[in-house]
Amino acid sequence: MGFILEGFLQALHLLASGNPETFSAIGATVRVSSYSIGASLIMGIPLGFCLGYFDFSGKRPLRTVVDTLMALPTVFIGLLVYAFLTHRGPLGNFGLLFTLPGIAIGQTILALPIVIGLSATAVESLDRKLRITIMSMGANRRQLFISSLWEARHGLLAGAIAAYGRVMTEVGISMMVGGNIKWHTRTITTAIALETNKGQFGMGVALGLVLLAIAFCVNISVSFLRRRV
Amino acid sequence: MDRPIYEVRSLKHSYAEKTILAIEHFNVQPASIVGIIGPNGSGKSTLLRLLGLIERPTRGKIHFNGREVEPFSNEARFRITLLPQEPFLMKRSVFNNVSYGLKLRGNGSNINTRVNEALALVGLPSRDFARRPWYALSGGETQRVALAARLALKPKVLLLDEPTASVDAASAQLIKEASLRACQELGATLIIASHDWDWLYEVCDEVRHLFKGRLFGTGKENVIFGPWHHHKGKLWQKELADGQRIRLSEPPPQPDAVAIIEPTSIIGTTETKRDDYGPGILEGIVARLTLEKTSDEIAATILIGNLPFTLKFSRQQVQAENLYPGQRIKLYYSPDSVKWL
Repeated sequence: MGFILEGFLQALHLLASGNPETFSAIGATVRVSSYSIGASLIMGIPLGFCLGYFDFSGKRPLRTVVDTLMALPTVFIGLLVYAFLTHRGPLGNFGLLFTLPGIAIGQTILALPIVIGLSATAVESLDRKLRITIMSMGANRRQLFISSLWEARHGLLAGAIAAYGRVMTEVGISMMVGGNIKWHTRTITTAIALETNKGQFGMGVALGLVLLAIAFCVNISVSFLRRRV
Repeated sequence: MDRPIYEVRSLKHSYAEKTILAIEHFNVQPASIVGIIGPNGSGKSTLLRLLGLIERPTRGKIHFNGREVEPFSNEARFRITLLPQEPFLMKRSVFNNVSYGLKLRGNGSNINTRVNEALALVGLPSRDFARRPWYALSGGETQRVALAARLALKPKVLLLDEPTASVDAASAQLIKEASLRACQELGATLIIASHDWDWLYEVCDEVRHLFKGRLFGTGKENVIFGPWHHHKGKLWQKELADGQRIRLSEPPPQPDAVAIIEPTSIIGTTETKRDDYGPGILEGIVARLTLEKTSDEIAATILIGNLPFTLKFSRQQVQAENLYPGQRIKLYYSPDSVKWL
């Protein structure tokens, strides 16, 4: 159990001393997860709104597909994205393999079904009377969409947090698509995997605690935001 | 007569292939107050949602100010507003709920004043209520805030769906006063779906009856639901809760048919029995007397075994008969005057 305490102390030391390798991994993690969560929210919220709001034929099977994709294994996504981004793959010309944008593409695929599924649930749980209320006030289609989203904001926020947690903590995509290149594509989770392989449990625990601290800060910010709105 | 503000033609609306509403023709004059009366499930809320441009009819057209309109029509969406039956507020403060529609319209200049005026109109002082969140209100207050949000828009048409059904008497009174006052000041058209017959007779220029999705009559007809049972010979009858029987001289089209007796076909009197009406005699208790807005006549609601009958009396007749709520009265009708819906 000593290495957990050692890890805790080492985490404080790493953060306090401004260890460049640690901060490089933190920077890579924050950047890549921000790219992917941004992209998945931009695409996923409108799609989730449509899935939850409208009734159309094939809605139920589509919902089942989305729910299934919420459990996509990260190594499988990593494998697929690797296959597309490698030089022999269809997107090989873009040179995205072993880059942060490459990891972000994989993480977006990971987060998108979560954002779509939880947004659809949030929109489905809106009171049916909301639509009547908004329309009776004279809203046009765009205002109806925005106002409905605003009413579902707490559910959407919960979906965004769940997706953010998933992309922050995944290893498979970052490892396979990013390659765990020091100073470049090494994220906190791939660094933890590496340190553990090297037998540096203390360092691994320290990086894990740093990851937890980042997640804590994000949740505190969201919780504050939620109280304000 | 002015051009109707609403013209409804050959309207049909269905849910899951079941026809909820089928109206051939329905006009509403501008600045008038129209009441819609009908039992639960008769299609009142659906009609108001269609007139409020919330839903598109399955078939038929709705014209507003002479132009065909549909949901999101720019010609109408800022002029018509609907207050739904169940109070509903968005997850924001009272102020933001009332100002929501004004912001949609881009009326940003005098929002504070209009919100304060609207809240005052429904008896909710702005200083006490404007900052309250949506969940910190009683049912009656919620309904009044919802009404204030509509009144702040200064609409040309205000559609009220059972506005007083789920609130206490004090809130109901405030809602009635606020909606009527706003309509008088704005010259707006008011269409009210309600079970509150007294209120509708008192304030409406026109009352229509809606039953099984069809509009008919003036809303003052006596509607009697089946089942009807064969009595003897040609006579059919319906037994009421107190054992009295409504008798018909002709068989109904089907045993559960709905019969209509016009108020003018019934004579109500406290005098002794008249023999010329044969089997068409009932005895009941005067429940309400209501002065009608348009005819200056008095509508009397007579309860016969829990079934309300409406009769019309002149002021002189009420005085001569010495009618008052609680008094026993005999109703005479001709079984031949019964019509079928």
